Amino acid sequence: MINAFLQLAQVGTGATLVQTLLKSFALGSVYVLIALGFVIIFKATQVLNFAAGALSMAGAMFMTILISDGGLPLLPFGNPLAPAEGETASVVLFFVNVLIALALAALLGLVIERLAIRPMVGQPLFAMAVITLGIEIAIRPFNLDATALEGRRLGVPWGASSWNWGDAVVPKSYIVAVIIAAIAGAGVLLFFRTKLGVAMRAVAFDQEAAMAQGINVGRVFAIAWAMGTALAALGAIVYGMAPFPPGGSVSQEIHPLLALRVLPVIVLGGLDSVAGAIYGGLIIATAEVFAGQYLSQWNSTLGSGYSTIVPYLVMLFMLLVKPYGLFGTPEIRRV
Amino acid sequence: MRRLKVFVALLLALSMLAAACGDDEDSSSGGDDGGSDTSDDSGDSGDSGDSGDSGDSGDSGGAEIATDFGVDAENKIIYVGINGDLTGPFASLVAEIVAAQEVYWEVFNGNGGYQGWTVEPVVLDSSYQTDIGIQNYETLAQESEDGVLMITENTGSPITAAIAEQAAEDNVLVIPLSWASLWPDPAFGSAILEKQTTYCVEAMNGVEWLYEKVQSEGLDPALAIIGRPGEYGEDGSVGAALAAEALGIPVVYDGTGAVAGDDRTAIISELVSSGATMVWVTLTPGELLDIFGNSVTQGLRAYWSGSSPSFNYLVHMPSDFAAEFSEYYFQSQYQAPWATPGIPGMEDIIAAMVEARPELNISDVFTTGWIEGIMAETLIRTAIDQGDLTRANMVAISQDPSFSVDFKGLSADQSWPQDYNEAVVRSSWIYDVDVSKFNLIPLADYTPENPGSTGLIPIEQDYIGSVAENFVFDGPCIETSG
Amino acid sequence: MAFNRPLLRTSYEQDAAIFPTYTQKGAMVAFGVFLVLMGLGAPYISAIPEFFLGPTWINPITNMLPLAISALGINILVGVTGQVSLGHAFFMGVGAYTAVALGGSGDEWQACVPFHEEIGLLEERGQCGLGLPIWVWLPFSGAVAAAFGIFVSPAAMKVRGLYLAIVTVGLVFIGLHLGRMFPEYAGDFESGRKWPSLDFRLWKEETPLIEFSEDGKWFGLIHLSEEQKQYFLLMALLGGFIILAKNLVRSRTGRALQAIRDRDIAAEVMGVPEFEYKRLGFAISSFYAGIGGALWGSYLGRRSPVDWSLFLSVDFIAILLIGGAGTIAGTMLGAVFVELTPEIVKHRTDWLAEQIDASNIFTPVANFLLTTGESGDFGPINIGTVAPGWTMSVFQWNFVIYGVLIVIFLIFEPLGLFGIWIKIRNYWKRWPFSY
Repeated sequence: MINAFLQLAQVGTGATLVQTLLKSFALGSVYVLIALGFVIIFKATQVLNFAAGALSMAGAMFMTILISDGGLPLLPFGNPLAPAEGETASVVLFFVNVLIALALAALLGLVIERLAIRPMVGQPLFAMAVITLGIEIAIRPFNLDATALEGRRLGVPWGASSWNWGDAVVPKSYIVAVIIAAIAGAGVLLFFRTKLGVAMRAVAFDQEAAMAQGINVGRVFAIAWAMGTALAALGAIVYGMAPFPPGGSVSQEIHPLLALRVLPVIVLGGLDSVAGAIYGGLIIATAEVFAGQYLSQWNSTLGSGYSTIVPYLVMLFMLLVKPYGLFGTPEIRRV
Repeated sequence: MRRLKVFVALLLALSMLAAACGDDEDSSSGGDDGGSDTSDDSGDSGDSGDSGDSGDSGDSGGAEIATDFGVDAENKIIYVGINGDLTGPFASLVAEIVAAQEVYWEVFNGNGGYQGWTVEPVVLDSSYQTDIGIQNYETLAQESEDGVLMITENTGSPITAAIAEQAAEDNVLVIPLSWASLWPDPAFGSAILEKQTTYCVEAMNGVEWLYEKVQSEGLDPALAIIGRPGEYGEDGSVGAALAAEALGIPVVYDGTGAVAGDDRTAIISELVSSGATMVWVTLTPGELLDIFGNSVTQGLRAYWSGSSPSFNYLVHMPSDFAAEFSEYYFQSQYQAPWATPGIPGMEDIIAAMVEARPELNISDVFTTGWIEGIMAETLIRTAIDQGDLTRANMVAISQDPSFSVDFKGLSADQSWPQDYNEAVVRSSWIYDVDVSKFNLIPLADYTPENPGSTGLIPIEQDYIGSVAENFVFDGPCIETSG
Repeated sequence: MAFNRPLLRTSYEQDAAIFPTYTQKGAMVAFGVFLVLMGLGAPYISAIPEFFLGPTWINPITNMLPLAISALGINILVGVTGQVSLGHAFFMGVGAYTAVALGGSGDEWQACVPFHEEIGLLEERGQCGLGLPIWVWLPFSGAVAAAFGIFVSPAAMKVRGLYLAIVTVGLVFIGLHLGRMFPEYAGDFESGRKWPSLDFRLWKEETPLIEFSEDGKWFGLIHLSEEQKQYFLLMALLGGFIILAKNLVRSRTGRALQAIRDRDIAAEVMGVPEFEYKRLGFAISSFYAGIGGALWGSYLGRRSPVDWSLFLSVDFIAILLIGGAGTIAGTMLGAVFVELTPEIVKHRTDWLAEQIDASNIFTPVANFLLTTGESGDFGPINIGTVAPGWTMSVFQWNFVIYGVLIVIFLIFEPLGLFGIWIKIRNYWKRWPFSY
């Protein structure tokens, strides 16, 4: 398999195909991470988290603050794990910092759940979704104010470097993205087999029945929001690595819109399906990247930039066949 | 009732939190006593516009000067408007430009203004949204004492295009923060006073400069053009194509208007396989970062340059492609960057900004705000000398072919003849990008020995290529849509 | 006579009446007179908006009116029919581009045939615009948008709830792409194109019958500024559309739509054809959106494809939820609130900034809230230069306030401003037994 792949990579068009495939998987990994964030939150709390954009970017901001500023503002102590000024962290230290950033993002998720989501339990789904829109609007200026005025470096140790497989160029970040998404996906799937994960599934199934069984629904909500926010933040951090478009930094131009691009993914996979998020992410990214790469001779007919709407077209087509996504739970309708 | 209490408590807590997060730096150098060392300099800049005789207006005072809107004749205050993007996509740069212009007026007022007249800027935020921008314009252009005399900065082509006609009707002079080649066209908006050159001419100069660079390196010239759709992108792309035609450079990839949406896979692979040795881009910084980074990663070795707004050191220097930008990218600009030695205007900027805004970082775009200030001050001085501070007279002065502005070395001096071909400024600047010199320091840390650097070093000042010099324009490079 | 007791209804007609009591009728007439006097700039009355919005108050208020017309549409779709849509901006765009194609200035009609050869330069493309008068393009903009609504409505049968919301997000992005693909309609991608003015012409004659784009005398009677004329026109149109919407909601159709909102299967069991009424809901809502979009473009004079964005759709959802979904009064309150709050905050902050030097009772408040950006001066709102750090300009705070208000309203008052009004009304109705 790998041999065949390497052989394919030797030839020019084959190299392009390998690169395109790899880019699909890498972009798909980012989509999977953010989609998992959406799905966990929706599964447990029935909230479609429109704030994912601002929250994920905030997570990436935490990362840059840890790495570049050497600590959070307002705290009396700095970040002892930050690299020295002008140096890049070692790979281990970098990932330790990523974990700290994710913990901070999870904390932000907890605060938001407590302040804005918990009081809304039992309200219509749409009202809850719109609350998260409000949160998105309220947090975004903080993100932009912090990015807009200075460069926000992520400090990725391997930078933009890449391997060469024959003619194909394989950026290290793409491989890292795939590995991280695989670990996160497996972790989430395993989580739903733990006691807490089962409790979350029970809450998703029927909140009152779960409460009657002695499950602490509030705690499940909090954990879901913490996990969901951290996963979204992880997606934003991975997306920041070069040669993803932000090129090793947190970008005020690119990052705020990232989560919006994941909406077709979760609809395609089903709002409450972990497997759906994984398949959906890969399908949508592949469709998008391959359309961009191989349909460019249709540029004049489809209009330049058509690949941006390919995910929505795939989504629309799928929904006509399967209205609750590939793996989503159909709503039981009764009079 | 309980809910109300919770609500109030929440609001209080929020405001306390916000207050606690407030700026707690303590680098107090304080008071703005107006930078006395710049006083004689700002006196100079007025001399360029001395079409009137200041002898008799010295004793005339405010009473004999005709005014209409935006001027408080009693207290001798002139209001000027800024319709800037302070929360939108260009906020990082525009905030610094606005800061520089505010400091410019602080210095001007600190020196006693001109014949006792002082200037107060009124700043509004458009967030780069046209509807808000139009409303801001209506607020600034209102015909009452709350209006402004002229708009000294209007961010962006879209909003400038949206207000151009109305501004001509209202006689409100507008200095756009946009270099589209439409503005020097009197037919488009007679009240729009463009500063510096256009994206189109800039592209001609940039492509010619790249051509010489590529030839000196012994490479075969082969040009790729990449641009966004819309006025900005097409203006630059057309300029590049015109230069390629004039110089006989083969265009191996034409991506005019191709960069739309979030996915640039096709552009990158076509660019890499095109064998280009020189690339001209007219993009946003984020788009450039994506396309440049991926092309370089995939092995493209070419010299790049692009329209000024494509490159932003705040975005590109902290990226992981900073070294590649240093090697392959050359920034095209219209003016002097931070701490360029030997330029009198830059000395004014440094002295004033360090004094008045120590909490800001050094920035290249202070120059832009300063240039807007110089333009407006020259206009206002001319108007006061003529004894006519009305909106209509500001527009009239700007249309006077003898009116010219001396930018004190910051950019090429400029005048505004009515003929498009004569009015277009032909010169632009080329900077080298060098991340090793990049040293973004707060203004408070500025010393003449360690001035800090944005990593952009001018290699050509007021460069005029043969194409741009000889090109005969019969109008803007692109046409406006009705 | 029944009107002596406020809640006693003796006939069905009474229950379905727009204004069941004389008090309400009187209040509405008084409010109408107030709006007219305000538009005329009557002393004392126009001081009220001026206090909140400054001397140019008429601009933000007039700008709000077309959006309020569109908001009536989103209320019918989301509030009355219960179909969640984030695609309202798309339908507004459809209406607006219909208006500009029919009413705008441009080349010959050939340019209107969608023929997309290649993304070329602006000069190579024609510009579609037939120059027809407002009485042609305004109804058509609503009709074409309604047709698009009907075209999209089958999706509402297939998918429901939040899935539908995301599908309609897709519409906005597809619309953006279409705007980029067809510059002959949309003009330049960034700076857009010019919209036809609101002037009323019989056909293509030079001088319009009724002038809306110049200051001057109207019918030789009264001298009005351009802004006032537009204010009156849009206010009258809004009034007409409010009555239309009100009548729709209290008709058989309206009741059928509400039945679908409350439980679509139950409605079908009762004999309300679900699909037909969902389609009708989309059509009516898009009609309003199209009219609002056309008028908005025309009022602002120039729009570009990027202006019909997802954020515009979000604004409408905010209008609905802050105002109170399902009620027309609530929708109007929401429109006023969402569109004018940022302007009010901006204006009152300027005022607050003046109080720092004025040294009166507001000075401590001003000092607490504002900072000039200089070191040592605390306060969350930065009125000086925007500097790095966590103090933000009033413009940035406006977004924060907007977002926080959405959250607070939904948590504490799910019925929105209309719910607050009902509470106040009920309090006084029962007074002094208000427990």
